[in-house]
Amino acid sequence: MAYNKPIPTPSPLTQPFWDGAKQGKLMLPRCTNCNRVHWYPRHICPFCYSNKIDWIEGSGEGTLYTFAVQHRAFGGWAEEAPFVTAYIDLKEGDRMLTVLRGVDPNAPGSIKIGSKCKVEFEEASDEISIPFWRVVEEASA
Amino acid sequence: MSLSRSAAIVGAAEAVEIGYPEEPRTGLQLHMEAIHAVSEQTGIPLSEIDGIFSAGASSEIAEHLDLHPKYIDTTSVGGCSFEMHVHHAMAAIYAGIIDIALVTHGQNGWSQRRLRGGGGGYRGGGGSPGQEMTMAYGLSGAPSNYSHAMTAHNHKYGTTPEDFAHIAVVTRQWATLNPRAVMFSKETHEAGGPITVEDVQNARMISWPLTLLHCCLVTDHGGAVIVARPEVARSLKTTPVWIAGAGESMSHQNMLEMGDFTATSAHRSSQIAYEMAGMGPEDMELALIYDSFTVTAGVTAEMLGLAPRGEGYKLWKDGTAAPGGKLPINTNGGGLSFNHSGMYGMQLLIEGYRQLSGTAEDGVNGIKGKQTNARTAIVNGTGGSLSTTGTLILEAD
Repeated sequence: MAYNKPIPTPSPLTQPFWDGAKQGKLMLPRCTNCNRVHWYPRHICPFCYSNKIDWIEGSGEGTLYTFAVQHRAFGGWAEEAPFVTAYIDLKEGDRMLTVLRGVDPNAPGSIKIGSKCKVEFEEASDEISIPFWRVVEEASA
Repeated sequence: MSLSRSAAIVGAAEAVEIGYPEEPRTGLQLHMEAIHAVSEQTGIPLSEIDGIFSAGASSEIAEHLDLHPKYIDTTSVGGCSFEMHVHHAMAAIYAGIIDIALVTHGQNGWSQRRLRGGGGGYRGGGGSPGQEMTMAYGLSGAPSNYSHAMTAHNHKYGTTPEDFAHIAVVTRQWATLNPRAVMFSKETHEAGGPITVEDVQNARMISWPLTLLHCCLVTDHGGAVIVARPEVARSLKTTPVWIAGAGESMSHQNMLEMGDFTATSAHRSSQIAYEMAGMGPEDMELALIYDSFTVTAGVTAEMLGLAPRGEGYKLWKDGTAAPGGKLPINTNGGGLSFNHSGMYGMQLLIEGYRQLSGTAEDGVNGIKGKQTNARTAIVNGTGGSLSTTGTLILEAD
């Protein structure tokens, strides 16, 4: 079945991220002045204000910062509700939003903040593969 | 003293490529190139900017730079907006609110036609990477964002959704004293009248852990207030309510950039307002706190210093905030049970005026029973996704 949910449109700034995603790589912007990774992509480093920013391939590893279960949604997502949205703290630093996989939206009490997660990609179109994260190791209660 | 010569323009720069650039540019990119250039030109580090002015894009630009300014103006009234920004900036500097204002512009009139939609942007930033990196994940409006903050608070402080449900219950008590409130009674709404914690928790789930009754109403509202100088205020038949303090700030635009999901910029905006007023949280006799969701009100009470971190909900749970309590909160019935039109800041202002001018009881429709004895009030509005905050400290005449 064709992907029926919203698909982002790249800009010149973000194109390297989507080029990487297509190959299953989580590309992350890193400032060449202070060496810190930031997310989302910037024209100016939010930590040191340099405009010299490069891309690195990230590890695709992170931990669950917080989450919610969406019982109400629109478009293609409405068919999937309830589903779990989550913020993932990247191993390299900073944070991404995702729809979390490998968890039970009907048992939110069983989802543990601090759980280890890994990224995976879903091909949404010829141009765009979208990163999603999956819990791979539950945090202890 | 007058406003004349109270501020100066100290630098001016442009984006690297303007006109008809070879590669299409986004509006945001044009902003950022110019901002970087003017920082280099003046030697002023971007971190020193405490006021941001643009035609429609100020919170996105501030977030992109990780700035948390004290003055945010996004006046967008056409080509003359920027002259107005300079005027507003000068006034803010003259008033002692800020020291360094950034007025910025980025508009890709040419390039936007050549970009497929990723990076257009007529007035504002355009090419919003924050939006691009979050739009794929099925979030659908405010509840779907704020719910993440409740989960984070529950995790960090060991609180529960039931704790926050008390906020909805007590706010409903106030609404039952306000005939103008949507949820005043069964006569005004089939779900009106008093509610219990069980009612709140058993309501339809919207975005776990937020049920419908953790969320504000969606209604119509119109309101207006008039602010005047003291000489005028003294000459009128109405009772003045004085603005003792004011402050504003922001931590982010997109929740992706919030950092600690259990803290908002209301801490900073209220600190500024308290300092201006020469008062502190202990001097407040009434609080009007934006309650888009129960979690918004609970967290904001903590940020305003009315309760210790992690314990904001207790003000409602122990009756402090309730009718007859020591610190009445949201005496109109709040966004949760009185009225919430999408932007609720005006409703807060009107209730603040009515309470401190002593006219709450005989308000528009003969409202009975909700007039407090408060002589001071803190009023705090929250915008976006726990993003922007504005605080006022009001004082009775």
